[in-house]
Amino acid sequence: MFKKCMAIPYALFMALFVLLPLALVLVFAFIDASDGSFDMIANFKELAKEQALGKVISNSLIAGLSTSALCLLIGYPIAYFLTKPEFNRKGVMIGLFLAPMWVNFLLRMMATKAVFNVLGFKMGMGAVIFGLTYEYLPFMIMPLYNTILKIDKSYIEGASDLGATPTRAFWKITLPLSMPGIISGLTMVLIPSITTFAVTEIMSNGKMMLLGDFIYSLKADSLNMAAAISFVLLIFMGISMFISNKYADGGSKGGGIC
Amino acid sequence: MLRKILVKTFISIILIILYLPIVWMIVFSFTETPSFSDWSGFSFNNYINLFSGNGPNADKIQEALVNTLFVGFFVSLLSTVLGTLGAIGLHAMHNKRIKATYSTVNQIPLLNSEIVTAIALALVFNIFASMFRINDGSWGVTALKLILAQTTFCAPYVLLNVLPRLQKSDNKIYEAALDLGCTPAKAMFKVVLPDILPGVVVGALLSFTLSIDDFVITKVNVTSFETLSTLLYGLKNGKHPLPADIRALFTIIFFIVFALMMILYKPKTAKEKH
Repeated sequence: MFKKCMAIPYALFMALFVLLPLALVLVFAFIDASDGSFDMIANFKELAKEQALGKVISNSLIAGLSTSALCLLIGYPIAYFLTKPEFNRKGVMIGLFLAPMWVNFLLRMMATKAVFNVLGFKMGMGAVIFGLTYEYLPFMIMPLYNTILKIDKSYIEGASDLGATPTRAFWKITLPLSMPGIISGLTMVLIPSITTFAVTEIMSNGKMMLLGDFIYSLKADSLNMAAAISFVLLIFMGISMFISNKYADGGSKGGGIC
Repeated sequence: MLRKILVKTFISIILIILYLPIVWMIVFSFTETPSFSDWSGFSFNNYINLFSGNGPNADKIQEALVNTLFVGFFVSLLSTVLGTLGAIGLHAMHNKRIKATYSTVNQIPLLNSEIVTAIALALVFNIFASMFRINDGSWGVTALKLILAQTTFCAPYVLLNVLPRLQKSDNKIYEAALDLGCTPAKAMFKVVLPDILPGVVVGALLSFTLSIDDFVITKVNVTSFETLSTLLYGLKNGKHPLPADIRALFTIIFFIVFALMMILYKPKTAKEKH
């Protein structure tokens, strides 16, 4: 009994600062800021009037999808090869790939910008996608690595005993069995990269905005509109959580370290 | 053989790209040029300026450093207490439904978009401020807001690091201590805590690192002071985004964080997977 009671303080804290804030997002999304009345569509109508929104959404889609694709194309081979001891002695290599997560991302972006300036690269969509890929690559590698590591080697040995070439064994066995890791990685890259804030601003010299930057810019004028768009994002988050709970494994964020 | 060389080249190229900006910053922290391109001779002056408080940004840096460390310390303390208590409580629960709800709510801050968490917290703080008529421009209120806000995403990591330790430990020893006349509180400190201590320490250090590193939630909720992250953000539009003394400061922070992570991080490898 005594032990169970120890759950109470944190439960209260979560109720006040995790659940209540989310409930408020729901409420504020449907309150018209001008007269404080309940209105299902007022904030969304206002949002639709924002001229920048269309551009923000199309930019977010381009940047988010390219980043996810690049992270997968670069991250999969790396995760795959690092599960082989010959490329990853004592796990040092995988550690090196995950370590940049722990360096302040603003610092990494500003250093990248400075390097880009020196090398004479142009800032813009390309630089934004580079920055986002840079930031989110570890989040793709981590679940992929954990999933591929768990695949039973005897399946592949079995396939080659039965005459499959290594290439065929990879496409028929390793790749399908790493699907949970791929899904988990995509959920950790796609939405977070679209809703990130500041990377776009730094890497495009303030010329571009993604959803994250847009929400931040709304915060100053109208928390209600920020809440409305956060509400839409929450729905997408819910869908992505549902998909990843159902199909994915290999590394929820919390399992990332130790 | 050729395959091995190709793979090693690929891995090396990606690693070089990942570390190039950081290494470049570290190298240029030993020269005083404002830009990132012209080397103006090796010197420790950036570091000396930092500690003697003479650099162009010295006052701002020192203030931001104090704020960041203050907030980080209390976030780490609060997260560790809440997360550890929560883990012990969660582990002792039998009702499956309550257990599942508890761990799901614990996961929300980790899975939610940072900007959404930040806006949601801003709504709550606004309401509290108007309910209790708090002037949220003061230093103390800002610090309190940041401590509470950052604890929402640090405490879950503490819980997730303590829980596996509890699952491995033997509950019979705790019960034996009670049978031998220990009070529950004493048994907790004498038996359970030593058992889970490694997880608690990792959680505390992790919380501290996450707190110093946080930008999005801090930037949205901060009203009256700068932390290192917001200070850095303020410099983004300058012609030279990373001035000399900032490079020196972040080189030091980089090595501290890197050393901590290398100690804490135990990667899974093929050999020890089962």
